[in-house]
Amino acid sequence: MAPAFERERRSVRITRRCLGGLASHADIWFCLFVCVVPFLALRVYSFTGPGGTSAIENFQYVVGSVGENLFWSIRIAFLSLAIDLAIALPAAYAIVRYPFPGKRFLYSALALPLYVPGAVIGISLVLTFNFTYHLTTSVWGLVLAMTVGTFPLMLTPLIVALKDLPPVFEEAAECLGASRWQTFWRIVFPLIGPGVSAGLMLSFIIVFNEYLVTLFVHPPEVTTAPLRIFNLVRTAGLLPTTAALAVTMQLISFAAVLLFFRVFGTRYLKGTYLI
Amino acid sequence: MSTVRLVGITKHYGATVAVQDFNLQVADGELVTLLGPSGCGKTTTLRTVAGLVEPSAGRIWFDDQDVTDLPPRKRNIGFVFQTPALFPHLSVANNIAFGLSVKGAKKDAIGARVDEMLTMVGLAGYGSRLPAQLSGGQQQRVSLARVLATDPRVLLFDEPLSALDRNLRDTLKYSILDLQRRTRKTAIYVTHDQSEAFAISDRIVVMNAGRAEQIGTQTDIYLHPQTPFVAEFIGANNGLTGTVTGTDGAGDEARMVVAADGLTLRARPRPDVRAGDQVLVYLRPENLVVLPDGDGAEYDNVVDGTIDRVIFEGPTAQLRVDVAGRELRADISGSQRLTLIQRQGKVRLGFNDLTMIPAGAALTSAGSESASAAIANAAPGGTEP
Repeated sequence: MAPAFERERRSVRITRRCLGGLASHADIWFCLFVCVVPFLALRVYSFTGPGGTSAIENFQYVVGSVGENLFWSIRIAFLSLAIDLAIALPAAYAIVRYPFPGKRFLYSALALPLYVPGAVIGISLVLTFNFTYHLTTSVWGLVLAMTVGTFPLMLTPLIVALKDLPPVFEEAAECLGASRWQTFWRIVFPLIGPGVSAGLMLSFIIVFNEYLVTLFVHPPEVTTAPLRIFNLVRTAGLLPTTAALAVTMQLISFAAVLLFFRVFGTRYLKGTYLI
Repeated sequence: MSTVRLVGITKHYGATVAVQDFNLQVADGELVTLLGPSGCGKTTTLRTVAGLVEPSAGRIWFDDQDVTDLPPRKRNIGFVFQTPALFPHLSVANNIAFGLSVKGAKKDAIGARVDEMLTMVGLAGYGSRLPAQLSGGQQQRVSLARVLATDPRVLLFDEPLSALDRNLRDTLKYSILDLQRRTRKTAIYVTHDQSEAFAISDRIVVMNAGRAEQIGTQTDIYLHPQTPFVAEFIGANNGLTGTVTGTDGAGDEARMVVAADGLTLRARPRPDVRAGDQVLVYLRPENLVVLPDGDGAEYDNVVDGTIDRVIFEGPTAQLRVDVAGRELRADISGSQRLTLIQRQGKVRLGFNDLTMIPAGAALTSAGSESASAAIANAAPGGTEP
């Protein structure tokens, strides 16, 4: 009696475990299906479209006709990232390492662009740039707009990484005779590398793919790649050549992510909770 | 080479007093240990010497230079932290070279110095490794080498061994002492570990609640504690409170008679204690001797009691004896300890060396367990428990 009962219980347990495994596999495949299939469809469409064009021609079109738009996107991304980093590094250091009144309020204020719709940012920037700085006809207006929009994305990972870095390394460097400048660049900066790469990566993806804010503040002669995609779809419908442009943008974003991780790495410290 | 002088160092954190009017003079080449329970202000004091903490009041001198307002990088100190704090992204050699390279030393000179330092701490050939590839003890030795490479005026140690396991601590503390002796550096060493302090120090500062309770050599502090805190914090002690009732004997044989917790004890006279004074009396467990019945004429004090418990600890046997309703601890060593293991019932104890401290000498509330409460009391005027 007893062994049979035991066997039955065990088989129930095994069935349960199998069902659990099956369910989790199904879940993973479902997620993959939902998230990846649209991109695959885009890729397939970019290779062989209904227009009769071949894959190589589609991508030749990307390089030839919209290469300028991609180039603008890349240039604007790198310029705004450089400005972002130059402002965010000292800001993060001050916020983490020095006590001062109103610190929380300051951080909340700096993080504001994260919670505000792009259109609101766009309108406020048009107002500010147009009437205060007369910047709307210059590419710098666009660069600054991107900097404003992505600053919190740069700042937050830096703050997290710095909070994770024990101050003892800086103290040790200072006791060994290093100036603050030397301590920062030789010790702190390499050790918050993961935070820097996270910030750069998040900001790059936003800037490179931003459509709405660009629409508001771009000067007439500058058309970024996302803007061009939208214009093309609106005027000519969805062509395989446009799909090829979209795929190119995707690949550039992906390559940028890989590059940042190779350069800054996650080797030394944790501190990248955001990814 | 340098002398270090701390004059009236005080540090407040808001209403909390971390260090209160701390004075210390460290001679050239001397190793002084700050010893105390956690939260007693010893690390804060050390960090003021390094310049990592700015004192609220007081001055710090290296020789005849006032360094109080200098940042750490201009003090030319070597600070060894509780954790090795090696820069994880730099190789061992680059860690040791760091202090020299930020001062703009020539590459060849740095290379030679790094090799010299690695040999000195017994890690020659480890230069190209990353800190994560070394054991905890090796890392702490590299941090020593890193500090010595810059030829500092003063070495500062902040519990450098507390993160290591016991065996390593024992060997490394002698390596530190040896290096300090060979380089003839003036050193201040912070620890809460008495055996560490006793093993390496020239002098010890016992700290409690932000104050220096007593400064002296190992024997001073162990045999002649000046305050109840020192008597109770250093080693084990039986503490009794009592009143001096009179004097008996004369000359070298003169003894003060103390009525303490129902016992009558005789202690060597002190000039600052008179008949009628409240005193604290301490007897070290290892000074208590188990006597045969009816014997004990050669001891100042003989008490009878009942054995509560015998705890065999290997080299010693710990006797817990109930004497007039009060438990005394006696540590018995030698062959006598073996005969005591089975013993029960009545026992006679004899002892000579009592430490008598006037009750007024209490700088803070007596007893190490109340040290944290004492910090709150250490505000000006709060010197009595």
